[in-house]
Parts: sequence; C-alpha cells; structure tokens
Amino acid sequence: MFSRGTGHLFLVSLAALMSSPAFGEIGRIKSSSGVATVQRGTETLPASTGQELLPGDWLETGKGGRISLTFADNTRFAVGPDSRIALKKFEYDPTTQKGSFVAKVERGSIAVVTGRITKTRCDSPTVSRCGGMQIETPESVIDARGTRFIVTVKR
Amino acid sequence: MKCRSIAICAMLVAAGCAHSSVVLLPDEDGGHGEIGIQQAEGKSGETVLKDANSRATLAGGQPSIRPLGAKGLKPNEAALLATLPPPAKGFTLYFHEGTTEIAADSVGTLEQIRAEVAKRTGAEVQVTGHTDTVGSSADNDVLSRRRAAEIVNWLTTKGFDRTMMSAVGRGERELKQATADDVSNPANRRVEVLVR
Repeated sequence: MFSRGTGHLFLVSLAALMSSPAFGEIGRIKSSSGVATVQRGTETLPASTGQELLPGDWLETGKGGRISLTFADNTRFAVGPDSRIALKKFEYDPTTQKGSFVAKVERGSIAVVTGRITKTRCDSPTVSRCGGMQIETPESVIDARGTRFIVTVKR
Repeated sequence: MKCRSIAICAMLVAAGCAHSSVVLLPDEDGGHGEIGIQQAEGKSGETVLKDANSRATLAGGQPSIRPLGAKGLKPNEAALLATLPPPAKGFTLYFHEGTTEIAADSVGTLEQIRAEVAKRTGAEVQVTGHTDTVGSSADNDVLSRRRAAEIVNWLTTKGFDRTMMSAVGRGERELKQATADDVSNPANRRVEVLVR
C-alpha cells in the first residue's frame, strides 16, 4: 500500500517536471545536418532536433554541417559549415521582453533574424552594457539593431 | 629570411580577413534594421551599416561598406538564408465567460494550431491563458491556468508530446481591452498560443 502511494507521487512529480521546459533553457535546435555538435563544458552533445540550449554552449559544425535554431525571444539562427559559435550570454525576461544576448562567431558563418531582445535599448553609449544583441567576431563587435543579416568570419 | 616570412604571413592574414563581413538584408516583411560595428580594440568610433543589401568588412581596420550590387549574395550566404527556421506564429482562442469552453468561432483556430505544430521540426508551443475582470484576481489566476491547460491537453490528444509545450496563466493582469474591474469582456477571455 505504502509503496504504491509513493510510486504514484513519483509519477506526478515527474509529469510536472516534463511539462515545462528545462530550467535555464534559452533555445532549441530545430534541425541539423552533417557534422553538427553542441559543446557544453567538457561534454559534446549531438546537435539533434529538439536539443535544448543553455548559456555558454558552443555550436560547432564540420565541413557540410548545418544547424538551425531558435531562441526564447524568437531570435532565429542558421549556422553554416565549418563554424564555431558561442552563445556567451542570453538573459531574457519574457514579461518585460527585455534582455541581453551576446554571441561570438569564432569562425564560419551565421544568418540571423533578430527577436524581441533587440528592442531592449538604453541611453548608455557602451553597447556591451546596454542589453540588446551583440555579436563578437575576432576583430569586431556588432550591435544588431535588427533585423536580418549574415556574418561570415574567415580565418 | 625571417623578415620575408613575416611579410608572407601578413599577406595571408590580410587576404583571409578580407572575407570576414556582415551583410544587412531587408526584413522578411519589408523595411530593414541597422547594424553598428566597432573594432574589437575599441579605439575608433562606431560604423553604422544603414542600407539593406550592403556589406561591411569586419577585419583589417576600419569597416568599409559596399552595396551588394547585381551579383547579390554569395552562394553559401544564400544557402544559409534557406535554412533559417520559419518565424514564430501566434494564435488567439476565445472562451465563454467563467469557463474553459472554447467559443464557437475559435474551434477552427484549434485545427490551425495543430497543423502549424505538425509541420515544424522541433516545434515548441507556448500557451498563455488570460481572463476578463469578472471575479477575484485569485480565481482568475486559476481560471487562466485552466484555460491554458485545456489547450495543452487538447494538443496532447492530437499526439504531441508535453515536453514541447509550456503553459502559464496570467489571470487578469494583461487585458487585451482595458476595462474596469468586474467587467465581462469576450476579447479578454482568451488563450494566446505561440508556435515556434
């Protein structure tokens, strides 16, 4: 009787966990092809459809590899072959629809359609502290004020 | 000899970096945004890419801007655009007063939501319930959550996994039409569904 009761409780809490997205999730992979991985610390995860993404993840593609993904503020990314891209920072408040997104393109290419986060503006001239969306490349920092663009880094 | 190899390296670096660039494109619905570019060293000011269909260099000193011209995007760039996920799509369902019963004219919207979720790979569904101002705000929090749960449950009966869905209730906090308290308003009794 006792064990049946606790078993039931366990199922209920598991269902509750599964009905909401993973804590800290910032986006998900929508599709991928070829050699495509997510580097999380020392872990290497396949960049498979539905894979949840966390701040600090690196997206890596090999020759011919591609990854398509979306973020919680509706930002959309298409990552091209031979790319290495860091999701350095993603902080977003879905209620105020404000936040800060910093990505880094170490090499390769990326197409971006910006989301709600780029509507975050402030008066400070220091873009990196202003929220919104910045993309770093080895020699520059891009402040993306919308809306559709492509960044290519050849090394 | 040492000097020559440094010169060759410098040439190779310059040639490689000349390909790093950002291209600003028109939005999918017309208009276009703007891109600010600062060199990583941060010494010089910001260069602003203002015109759609133009390219700015991202290496080798101050960015230089050029229109894309008749040749347009490079083939690898065009291929990249083709793999962007589709934009998120929003739907609104309306409800009878004080219930989780969907209004007759919203029944068709359910099927549109089902079709939209079905055609996307790795779909995510965000469901947000709302109420009008009839009743207490605590009761409306519960009702708005039940309305959201109703839609999530319906989608699971269509074979979609709960892990792709999230549901919240906002009670009477986010009225579509501003009203006084205790006002029945069909536009406010709604569930907003975002399919991404």
